[in-house]
Amino acid sequence: MEVIIDNRARAIEFSGDVSSLLKSLGLMREEVVVKVNGRLAPDTKILSGKDKVEVIKVVFGG
Amino acid sequence: MPNASACHCGKEPAIFLHYAQKHLCEEHFIRMFDKRFRKTVSVHKMLRKGDRVAVGLSGGKDSTVLLHSLAELKKDLPFEIVAITIDEGIEGYRARTLGIAKRECEKLGIEQAILRFDTETGKSLDEAMASGKTGKDDDSLSTLPCTHCGVLRRHLLNKGARQARATKLALGHNLDDMAQTVLMNIMRNEPSRLARLNEPMTKSDRFVRRIRPLMLSPERENAIYAMLKGIDIEHVECPYARFAFRGHVRKMLNETEVRYPGTKFKVVNALFSMEEGLRAKFGKNASLRECPSCGEPCSGSMCMFCKRVKAGRL
Repeated sequence: MEVIIDNRARAIEFSGDVSSLLKSLGLMREEVVVKVNGRLAPDTKILSGKDKVEVIKVVFGG
Repeated sequence: MPNASACHCGKEPAIFLHYAQKHLCEEHFIRMFDKRFRKTVSVHKMLRKGDRVAVGLSGGKDSTVLLHSLAELKKDLPFEIVAITIDEGIEGYRARTLGIAKRECEKLGIEQAILRFDTETGKSLDEAMASGKTGKDDDSLSTLPCTHCGVLRRHLLNKGARQARATKLALGHNLDDMAQTVLMNIMRNEPSRLARLNEPMTKSDRFVRRIRPLMLSPERENAIYAMLKGIDIEHVECPYARFAFRGHVRKMLNETEVRYPGTKFKVVNALFSMEEGLRAKFGKNASLRECPSCGEPCSGSMCMFCKRVKAGRL
């Protein structure tokens, strides 16, 4: 699976939903928005190995 | 039997609202967001026909969404909008959001006034922080960048709104900001600040009434709304944010929200329940004087803005 965080892509082995993926990456669901294959996705979405996941940090200070 | 992992309309969901245990597709999320915005404005009596609303527009996602939502509301309620942008002078951060603020105003045909820290106070925020002269010698003046910036920004937004002859000053504070502010004031044992969070204790013609139409919109949902509506937003953090107490409270609150969804709404609703009692307790002795330097209303011998500007120019 391809995961893009802060515009940096990496390939990882993962099975589960978006919520578990965020946890495994040490990210908090309250602070990010996730797109799967270019579309906004809820954190309940089950991911497949072919998915392209983009994690966008949207909660900042300032 | 409805599909629990789909929107109620049957479409693929774009978001799961944990606090409501509900999936929503893009279209129904936008509808819910717009409805909540209008309900907040109406229930809290934020706008009246004929108002002239100054929007505090930084160009960040919250204030930009606020500008768009107000422009949409304006189609149904006759009021005017102007934008007030404060340029604090933060290199590598503010220039990007200033560009967005300018473009969005042009797109929506909204008049924009820009007030700069350096021309209004003698120093940009970067210069004030580099010189360390934000009032170090005065115990009442914290040298933390967010405190300094907050005092100057609030003063200039009010000044800009007054110059624009605005009757209301709309701020992009979201649910997260509000819940953080409530907790911060409790943690600092400053309940009197909570009493005047939504309305000043003492009326003054020089204070433009502040409204927060996004105060019940979670920060993350503002970002999602902007993405779905094609509103230009920058995902960028203020370089000074790491110094702020607010950052610790934000992290704690977000961790609690993940574990106990709905916490942020509950914190803000608790404020609404306590407000009347707090105002009764702290409103009795509230009085304002006129700052001898700028004429703005203040509770001390000089307003915090002038104290800081004076300290910075020494």
